[in-house]
Amino acid sequence: MLNTQAKGLLLDTTRCIGCGACALACKERNGLPKTSEVVLEDKLSDKTFSTVNQVGNRYVRRMCMHCATPSCASACPVAALEKTAAGPVVYHESKCMGCRYCMIACPFGIPKYEWEKKAPLVRKCDLCADRLAKGLKTACATACPTGATTFGNRDALVLEARARFAANPGRYREHVYGFEEVGGTSVLLISDAKPEELGYPAGLDETPPPHLTWRVLNIIPDIVMTGAVLLGGIYWIRNRRDEVEAAEGHHDASTKGH
Amino acid sequence: MPKLALPRLTFWRGVLLAILAAGTYATFLRVFKGLAGSTNLTDAFPWGLWIGFDILCGVALAAGGFTISATVYIFNLEKFRPIVRPAILTAFLGYVLVVVALLFDLGRPWNVWHPLVMWNPHSVMFEVGWCVTLYTTVLALEFSPVVFERFKMTKTLHVLHVIMPILVVLGVLLSTLHQSSLGSFYLIVPTKLHALWYSPLLPVYFFLTALTLGCAMTIVESFLSHRAFGKELEMELLVPLGRVALLILGVTAVIRFADFRHRGILGLPFAPTYESRLFLAEMIIGVLAPAVLLALPKVRQHRTGLFLSALLIVMGVVMNRLNVSITGMERSSGEIYVPAFTEIAITLSVVGVGFLVFALAVKYLPVFPEHEMKDARPPVAPDALHVAAQPIRSLPMPAIAVVALAFVAAGALGADGVRRREVVPGPPAPSGTPALAAALASFEAPAEMTFPQAPDSPGPVSFRHASHVDASAPDCLACHGNSYSFLGRTEAPPAGLMHDTKHCGGCHDGTSAFSIEDDCTACHKSE
Repeated sequence: MLNTQAKGLLLDTTRCIGCGACALACKERNGLPKTSEVVLEDKLSDKTFSTVNQVGNRYVRRMCMHCATPSCASACPVAALEKTAAGPVVYHESKCMGCRYCMIACPFGIPKYEWEKKAPLVRKCDLCADRLAKGLKTACATACPTGATTFGNRDALVLEARARFAANPGRYREHVYGFEEVGGTSVLLISDAKPEELGYPAGLDETPPPHLTWRVLNIIPDIVMTGAVLLGGIYWIRNRRDEVEAAEGHHDASTKGH
Repeated sequence: MPKLALPRLTFWRGVLLAILAAGTYATFLRVFKGLAGSTNLTDAFPWGLWIGFDILCGVALAAGGFTISATVYIFNLEKFRPIVRPAILTAFLGYVLVVVALLFDLGRPWNVWHPLVMWNPHSVMFEVGWCVTLYTTVLALEFSPVVFERFKMTKTLHVLHVIMPILVVLGVLLSTLHQSSLGSFYLIVPTKLHALWYSPLLPVYFFLTALTLGCAMTIVESFLSHRAFGKELEMELLVPLGRVALLILGVTAVIRFADFRHRGILGLPFAPTYESRLFLAEMIIGVLAPAVLLALPKVRQHRTGLFLSALLIVMGVVMNRLNVSITGMERSSGEIYVPAFTEIAITLSVVGVGFLVFALAVKYLPVFPEHEMKDARPPVAPDALHVAAQPIRSLPMPAIAVVALAFVAAGALGADGVRRREVVPGPPAPSGTPALAAALASFEAPAEMTFPQAPDSPGPVSFRHASHVDASAPDCLACHGNSYSFLGRTEAPPAGLMHDTKHCGGCHDGTSAFSIEDDCTACHKSE
């Protein structure tokens, strides 16, 4: 379960005016180059970790959701991705071997790759882990002038979302996206629209996807032990016959082929 | 003076040379142009042919190694012993080539050893990495007697003979684990892999299909060895393998049916989508047709019939792995993936190198021990290819009909599938102008702030967003994103910088707003 002090963000599409401040503040903090003339046309890439785009007739942000039980961290064979107690899912680039299983595993399609580089890395939002450590808000939340991106403790943000539902009857589709999806995320989304209308994946189960693999990986020791005994037993029984035959002097089968 | 004899250029050698030349060029591109310059992989589709074929199929195609060594050593079915060496050699070569192919696919191949040191026991790929490393070692040891025999190292041979049962048990366990775990790769993407292939039983399917393939590959290899080296295995060994393959095919089909029924998707294979078409093609080629053929004793005991059945199984498993890794992942990615020329060239080269090394090993090592082999015919040059003793036309008519029907049906389904391939629309396109009244109500101009002061500044400057921003249409990027930081600047600007046209001077020019030349104290407060 999420640490109650874990930080997170509450994204509210009903408050977003599409000013693009979040996306540019993200670029500033990460030292990323400009990728399009109009910041609202940016797509997530190795040079853009956070976007705000017009989807339908709303402005919608996309960024790493910082899952409580991240699929990327579970998939990574070298533990290059890690969920920290403070909330962010961070990337230890020196460990990465570039298998890109994190990109396959992520249910939100967030990790991006430096395809053009000869020593490529995975790039994604890290929830401004260094700023959080200094007690600062994320860059995007710092820049947002409307509260469409609100920074805080994840638990408090869930309450804040419900308070907004209560204070503005009819304004929201009263569902906190990320509260239960994939076992909970540190970034939460509220809106008047369904997730699929916002370009977010719908129909995510509350079981964290890593549990689906762990169920199988977890029984490996049992398989190994049972298998070893079983195979050893079969070997013993099947070869015992030859030994008996050999001892009785019918023929010497044990040396056959060697 | 000894003359250096160049091997004669035959058709297949020519093909191999062409493939290796293309592969060399592709390797050059991969090394010097990176993944972007050598693949059609994208952020939305990060795994392509190299994972789908070279890794997933490569490991499965090498399943003959553990299947046959278990049969001989553990089940003590001595009559299969002549198959052990070629099967283990194929498996060993297969795994080495899988690792080579992996080096092409990895973004940072020089870190390939990291999983051995940097552990993540929750990762399926971590487990597969370890299993493949250990199993390749086991295979090398299992094959090593062949090399030691060549050099007559009897003591080493004796030690290996003693530990062989342990090695084989270990090999079978490791294979069971990672063959199934390749399926477990995809357990973590229930919303991304198409329901036709996503199943909680993925590891079971991958294991069972690998077992079937182990039998089928042994049959195919024997047939090809006969054609290429004039060495073959006796039909009385291969026919039981065909029977076992049939049995596992049946078991897998029953499990799949129950799984589909349980998940309520029995109708899905008949939906008018390209995934369904390719799924049906996979089932016809890989399950239905070989099952029918192998069930007919006349076909099963016919050399060509058995070979054709085994070949269909091999094709079916290859289709399955490609469907799981490519077809099934496309819709959720919103992209259609077609491998680049370079990806295909590398893949073909890997297969070509496999054939080449196998041929060299057969030539120089006692892979097919003479006294155990039925020498079907005098050894023939690889170019003098003839179909083995029983030509295809001597197959019973129904069998030929089944094969023809399977290819026609799968071809038609595949073609129709490809025709139906479409890019799935991504997020809804922008439509209309967002209604911002409610959102603007929550606009709050950031608090008043004081700029860091330059050394010669006449006094600190405070900036009030409230008096600079039109709250009914705030344009943050008019100033931010170009000249002004979003995150606040702590160091003092160089003297005069703020007065230039990129900063305050841009608007405070006497026309848009009062000029910076007018009155210093309008902005600089005296301390």
